[in-house]
Amino acid sequence: MSAQEYAFTVLAVVGGLSAIAVVTARNVVHAALYLVVTLLSVGGVYLLLGAEFVAWVQILIYVGAIVILFLFGLMLTKAPIGRDTLDNQQRWLGALVGVGVFAGLVFLIQEAFPVQDAERFETFHATTDAVGESIFRNYVLPFEAVSFLLLAALIGAIVLARKDDAS
Amino acid sequence: MIRLPLVLMFSALLFSAGVYGVLARRNAVMVLMAIELMLNAVNVNLVAFSSSLHQMSGQVFALFIIAVAAAEVGIGLAIVILLFRTRESINVDEVNLLKW
Amino acid sequence: MNIDYHALLPEFILAGTILLVLVVDVFLPERAKWFAMPIGLIGVVGSLAGVLSLIGAGTRESFGGTYVVDEFALLFKGFFLVTAVVVLALSLRYFREGGFYQGEYYFLLLTSFLGCVMMPSSRDLLLLFLALELVSAPGFLMAAFRKGDVKSNEAGVKFFIIGVLSTAVMLFGMSLIYGVTGGATKLAEIGVALDGVSGEMETLAFAAILFVVVGFAFKVSAVPFQFWAPDTYEGSPVPVAAFLAVASSVAGFAGLLQLMFVAFAGQHEFWVPIFAFLSIATMTVGNLVALQQTQVVRLLAYSGIAQSGYILLTFALVTDDAASNRNAFAAAVTYILIYGVMNLGAFAATVAVSRRHPTLGVADFAGLRETAPVIAVGMAVFMISLAGVPPTGGFWGKLLIFQAAIERGGTLGPALAVVMLVNSVASVFYYLVVPRQMFLRDAADPSRLRVPALVTAVVAVAMVTLVAIFVLPNVFARLAEISTLVGLGA
Repeated sequence: MSAQEYAFTVLAVVGGLSAIAVVTARNVVHAALYLVVTLLSVGGVYLLLGAEFVAWVQILIYVGAIVILFLFGLMLTKAPIGRDTLDNQQRWLGALVGVGVFAGLVFLIQEAFPVQDAERFETFHATTDAVGESIFRNYVLPFEAVSFLLLAALIGAIVLARKDDAS
Repeated sequence: MIRLPLVLMFSALLFSAGVYGVLARRNAVMVLMAIELMLNAVNVNLVAFSSSLHQMSGQVFALFIIAVAAAEVGIGLAIVILLFRTRESINVDEVNLLKW
Repeated sequence: MNIDYHALLPEFILAGTILLVLVVDVFLPERAKWFAMPIGLIGVVGSLAGVLSLIGAGTRESFGGTYVVDEFALLFKGFFLVTAVVVLALSLRYFREGGFYQGEYYFLLLTSFLGCVMMPSSRDLLLLFLALELVSAPGFLMAAFRKGDVKSNEAGVKFFIIGVLSTAVMLFGMSLIYGVTGGATKLAEIGVALDGVSGEMETLAFAAILFVVVGFAFKVSAVPFQFWAPDTYEGSPVPVAAFLAVASSVAGFAGLLQLMFVAFAGQHEFWVPIFAFLSIATMTVGNLVALQQTQVVRLLAYSGIAQSGYILLTFALVTDDAASNRNAFAAAVTYILIYGVMNLGAFAATVAVSRRHPTLGVADFAGLRETAPVIAVGMAVFMISLAGVPPTGGFWGKLLIFQAAIERGGTLGPALAVVMLVNSVASVFYYLVVPRQMFLRDAADPSRLRVPALVTAVVAVAMVTLVAIFVLPNVFARLAEISTLVGLGA
């Protein structure tokens, strides 16, 4: 194993365990905090893979904005605490499906890219200016589409979430 | 210097945890968190392939997914707060999510 | 990077209109908020003119071949913009009298249609994903637009969670395809690259295709991923339900057609059985549950599920034979367009009745022959057409799918044709429930139903169109024929 691979293993174990904790925690706020750990480790994995810009965007947007939104959502809806109030009766079915999906995916990945034969690839370092150039050269149309999507989300969310005087 | 399948298996773990969360959680915000895990799995895949193939497109795809995810969480919380205001509960099974 | 501004004209006009609606709304006094609708209408018509100006201009590529304007794209763009005109017409009175946020609603509706218009031109995974999101994200918000009503809020939550979940599943499939194909994102490149994939890698590619198909199955409400549709349609404002049932699901099919017939065509042996299963399950469950419905929007929702099943059937007809694929593709496109017309008509009639009977039970249609004769005749035509009975366009639509299935041959083609035939016969029972109420029962309140002129116009035009399609099927068949995708059957 290379040094990078050791670092990756640590991040993957921490991120994976806290991902499981996100979906099993009995306390909603703990779940949100575990989500932060997972998102940070995913950001770390991006750094190891040479995707610097994506890593910082991950930390700024996901950890900085999305988790905060989640916490606001949990507070504003007075989310309860405890297994029975948080999980439904299909928990075992869910566990079965989750484990099945994981086993299936690992099997398929191992078939397609066998770990023992896999090369340690030279990571591709994408500099921020290369990413920017790519977006504004080749992905102008998706960029515009996303801007409309964000505008619609912003305005729609305000309309729905504001309290009406009438009602 | 990382072996690609290891990263893909990490992504598979995130995705499966998300699948479990979607099926097992009652609270709409918690379901949304599980879906975010699935979207992270997608991004890990994309960045890993982008890095091993030495191609930019996967990373750009991942950036767009992050932007869309942010928009969706905003939308989701607005709708959830709206539901909470009229119903005092945001449990999806009380919303009869699986009713035929 | 070449940008063909003429080819993008419809999108530019629509995008400009969206921003204009948003800005004008700020300056409108409360009583004149409805004025956003005529502005939007003019913009949509302008965008439609842009589409018309591109007819016969050949295939035009922009952004390195990721955004293509060809006949397939133009046909669907035209369809979506006409749908936009209809939904705007249905919305005016409903939203003006219901105490809604009108300017914001028209803004969201047009944004959704911008996504629809982009969809058939998107020939790249990233653009397909973004177009799909642009269609559904405003849809989540519009479904919850009846803010004080729990049903509408639940409709929004349900639609939102299912929508985001299906996107995540679809994206996971797309990310695997990106890796398996060695970094291809353009649909045509994926088609070529996937054909070169073999052995163990191919199994992963199959799994990736399965993820993408499951994601889209949610969007087009295929069984077993259909459960959100009836509740969402019922809870949404009726014009929004019309939008979701027609524009949003047709956009899903436009994306699915491109993915399956271009990108994944080489793997048809893997996915044809999946579509055969989805199709049979979807039409059978849709029809069986529709038989028990007593609320018209729910009835239309289950009818829509069953209709999705008929459309999905055409995907199960793909073989190595290019000619038979072309038939299946043409049948799919024709049926989607006819389905759009009859469903829009049915929702227009429902909007008309909802003014007096907001609960929209089947019994609320009683005696409509006296209270609103045009609507009653129109609704009867739409129901007959949805059932696939002549003399309506729906008959030709079903006949085309039936023919394509028989011509495909093997055991699967005729077997699917038989299932479809049985389902169509069964569907007649519930489609005739509403006409029976309208013509054989008497209304509790025999006074004339006041229907907005725009709604009556929509019903009349849709009715005439359906009958005209029956009389002159060649025009429509030709439209579908010219819209063959590049690389079809390769």
